[in-house]
Parts: sequence; C-alpha cells; structure tokens
Amino acid sequence: MMEEWRFEPAHDFGLSAEQRRLSLRREVGLESAISCFLWRSITRVYLATAHRLKIRGRENLPTRPPFVLVANHASHLDAIILGGILPLRFVGAVFPIAAGDTFFTKRASSIFATAFMNALPIWRKSCGAHSLEDLRERLLKGSSVYILFPEGTRTRTGAMASFKPGLGRLVAGTSVPIVPCYLNGTFAALPASATVPRWKRICVTIGKPLSFSATTNDRTGWELIAAATGNAVRALATLP
Amino acid sequence: MDPIARERLFGFRHAFDSPVTLWITIAVIAALLIASVIIWLLHTGERTSDKLHDELVKRVVSWAIMTPLLLGPVLLGAAWTILAVVILSVLCYREFARATGFFRYRSLSIVVVLGIIATTCAIADHWYGFFVAIPPLTMVLLAIVAVLRDEPRGYTQRVGLGVIAFLLFGHCLGHLGYMANDADFRPIVMLIILTVELNDVFAYIAGKTFGHRKITPQTSPNKTLGGALGALILTTTLVSTVGHFVFAGSGVDTPVRLIGLGLIVSVAGQFGDLMVSSIKRDIGIKDMGASIPGHGGLLDRFDSMLLVAPAVFYYIGFFRGFGLDQPTRILTGG
Repeated sequence: MMEEWRFEPAHDFGLSAEQRRLSLRREVGLESAISCFLWRSITRVYLATAHRLKIRGRENLPTRPPFVLVANHASHLDAIILGGILPLRFVGAVFPIAAGDTFFTKRASSIFATAFMNALPIWRKSCGAHSLEDLRERLLKGSSVYILFPEGTRTRTGAMASFKPGLGRLVAGTSVPIVPCYLNGTFAALPASATVPRWKRICVTIGKPLSFSATTNDRTGWELIAAATGNAVRALATLP
Repeated sequence: MDPIARERLFGFRHAFDSPVTLWITIAVIAALLIASVIIWLLHTGERTSDKLHDELVKRVVSWAIMTPLLLGPVLLGAAWTILAVVILSVLCYREFARATGFFRYRSLSIVVVLGIIATTCAIADHWYGFFVAIPPLTMVLLAIVAVLRDEPRGYTQRVGLGVIAFLLFGHCLGHLGYMANDADFRPIVMLIILTVELNDVFAYIAGKTFGHRKITPQTSPNKTLGGALGALILTTTLVSTVGHFVFAGSGVDTPVRLIGLGLIVSVAGQFGDLMVSSIKRDIGIKDMGASIPGHGGLLDRFDSMLLVAPAVFYYIGFFRGFGLDQPTRILTGG
C-alpha cells in the first residue's frame, strides 16, 4: 500500500463569489495574484512619480510571512503604499484589513477591494471577537501578511490617535512580529476631506519588528501591545 | 492568413451550411422550451412540490444560460469555438486546483496554465506536431519547477497533480477544440456536446425508471446498472442515427462504425463522470464548486466530456481524419 495523498481544499472552498469576498478564510489563486500584481505595478509607478515615494528602513522587513504591518492612518493611499513596498513574492499573501462598512457594503467597491487589493473585511460596529480570532488563526497558519491601521479610522486632524487593542488580539503570545511603519506626507497628499490626491511628497519609515511572544493573550496584554506599537510608530515619526 | 482558414475561423455566415447544425440548434431550443412548459404545467397542476419545482427551475435556467454559451461559439466560427474551449479548460482547472489545494503551489499552477495556453495556440495554428509536443514539455517543466522548492516531501504528489490537471483539462479537453480545425466541424462538435450531455440525462432517467443494482456504491451511490445500460442503448442509438447524417460519405459512415462511435461516447462519458466522482470522494468533497446553480461546479457538469473528447477524436480521426484538407500552421507558417 502507498501512503495516501493529502489534499487541503481552499479554505473558502464551495462558497459563492460574494461569500468569498466577505470571507476571512479567503485564499487566492492565480487570477487574483495577477490582478493584484497589475494594480501593484500601476500604483508603484504612480507613487514614485506623483508622490516621489521614499522608503527608509526596508532592511527591517521580515523575509517571510507571517507578520503584521501597521502604520498611522491618514489617507486612502496608505494601504496601497504599504502593499507596494512589500516584495513581489508576497503578492497574493498580503491582506490589508479594511473596514467592512466602508469598502464591503457596495458590490463594486467590494469587488475592487478584493480583486485588486486582496482586502479582508472587518466590521467596526459589530467587530465580534470571533472575527479577530479568525484573523489570528489565519496568521498562525503562517502564510499571510496583514496591513493594519490600528487607529481604526483615518485621522481628521493630522495627529495620530491611540491604537486600538484589537491589534494585540492578533499576535499576543505568538511569535508573529508586528512591523511598525510611519507614513509621512499622506495627510497632506490625500486627507479624509479631499477626494483627489495632491502632488505631495510621501515618505515611509519602516521600523524594527516587535515581538510579543511573552505577552499574555488577555485584555492587559492586548492594551500593552497596542500602546507599545503606537509608541514605536511615534518614535519613527521623530527620526531625523 | 489563408482565406480558407479565415472563413473557417470567423465565417459565421457558414453557421448553417450543414442541415444537421440547423436541426440540432432547433431541437435544443425546442427541448428547452418544452421542458419549461412541462415544469410549469406540473407546478400549476400541483404535481410537483415547491422544493422540487425550484430545483427544476434552477436547472432549466442554468441550461438556458449554458446553451447559448456552448452553441453560440460553435455557430460563430472555429476561432470562437477554440476560445470557448480554452475558457472551459481554465475554469475547470481552477476548480480542480482549489479542490485539491494545488493552487497554493503558484509556480506549478503557472506552468499548468501556460500549458493550457500553449495548447490553445497549437490548436488555433492547426499545428498537430506542437499540440502533441506540449504534454511532455509541460511534464518536463513541472518536474523542473517542482524541484526548485527543494522540498522532496510531497514532490510526487505536486508533480502528479500538475500532470493530471494539465492532461485532463488542457490536453483532453483540448481535443474538443482541435476538432474545430475541420472544415465541417460544426455538426461534429455539436453532435458530441449534445450526446455527451444527453448521455447524462439518459442515465439519470433510465436509472430512475429501471435502476436497481448499484454498480459503484463506493464511488457514486446513485449509479445503477439500469441507468448505465439505458444510457448506453439510448446514446448509441442517437449518436449512430444523427452521426449517419453528420458523417455521410466519409469512412465513419458504416453501421458498425457508427454504433462503435455511439458506444465510445456513452462509455467514456459515464466513466468521465465516475472519474470526477472518484476524485471528489478521494478529496472528501461533495461538489467541485458552486458556479452553476442546481449543478454544482463546472466540473460536475462537464466531467463526462473529459474522456470523450480524446477518445472520439482519435476514433473519428482513424476512419476519417480531422481537417486534412485544411491549411496547417496558419499562424506560424512553416
């Protein structure tokens, strides 16, 4: 006898197209990887020319998944920028965590968010603990990179708000690192009040990965992680 | 481009050159209308429960959408037929890759898709030598690319799944597209699509009527001996009757050979169905997807075609040939 082959169907197997878009277990194949790659290529050219995008600290990026990329949130460009600075081989494995009530309520925008950005929805009003738990499990499986803005919304004043403890829920007590980033110039380029971007320079600073493997997986731990990550991002802002 | 080839590829004015094409088109549209009327009558006469009625409506609507997608390209021309087959190949491959987990090996997945695209190019070019060169070359590429992961555990499974996927969805289904290189491809392709799909329907109806003895309780518990034999008789009768007009005057047009063709369609069709059932059982899933309401995935619908296409291609090819009078290598020259 021979040992049996082991099959692992896509974790979102058997769902309809709409259910797949909303599923936190979504796994993407070649078609999404191609559309995400095209979108990434176009936006990289745009960011490099229109915003003279500068990247500092690229050497701090982990070489393989899983990890969570977090940053201050000022504009709709933010997730695109962070997606664009990650190496090409991560295409299809990078999932921006997007507000479900903003990006996933209309059919067209949810198709765009999933097909080109590979976004996963999180529902801010009724953000059940189980959806964070699903995201945590997925991260522990080892092949995903998240892009997350723990302030929960874009800044309306330009100042960075405190980070929400939900971030801690994803990584507390695990070896999955958080990579803090600071985005400078995004508030001037496309604030929440504007619809068309302005030609402003943008600079991303990538900080050293933070590990919270010794932090307890409870509310105290989560708050500690949120505070520590917030401080790390603020520290990047003051770098010369 | 050669004008003869252009007429074959894009000459939609020739859609009904063969009367058989016209009959089949009319018969299919009539069958869909009659089925709709029967379902409606059964429901107004309260002979069917709401649940069964919804199920039947779903199936007829699915067929009403699929029929123009299948027949339209064949009527329009060889280029559209080839395009429709490659789209079907890629979509079937996608379902298979997602069901087995093969899609996670992205570089191997790219090789399989490139193989399917290359097959399409060979078909469109009418270059048989390249068409049959692609399977071994795809195998070579899969074996090489799979080594690059430097992960021997599971190597055989990864390469094996890639080879099975390419052979079934790229190469086997590709034979259906290759038939479009024949000057008289429309009635042949239509005959095959029609009878392969009806073979399923015959097996279902005959099974419901006189099916008792289960033949494959482990693989597909609904298959009965009565259904299989019923389909064999009905499909063979249909294929040899319509085939007599399709192949009039050619080497296939003798009673024995026409019956042989019918038997091949029915047997290969039923085994294709059982093959996909075996794959599903092996993986541990019920349907291959959810893309066609009432049917499951695309592969659940077109499973029977996978083995029929190459079997019929070489059977007809042996007695008659495909596109022998047509210009070859119409794109690459040579």
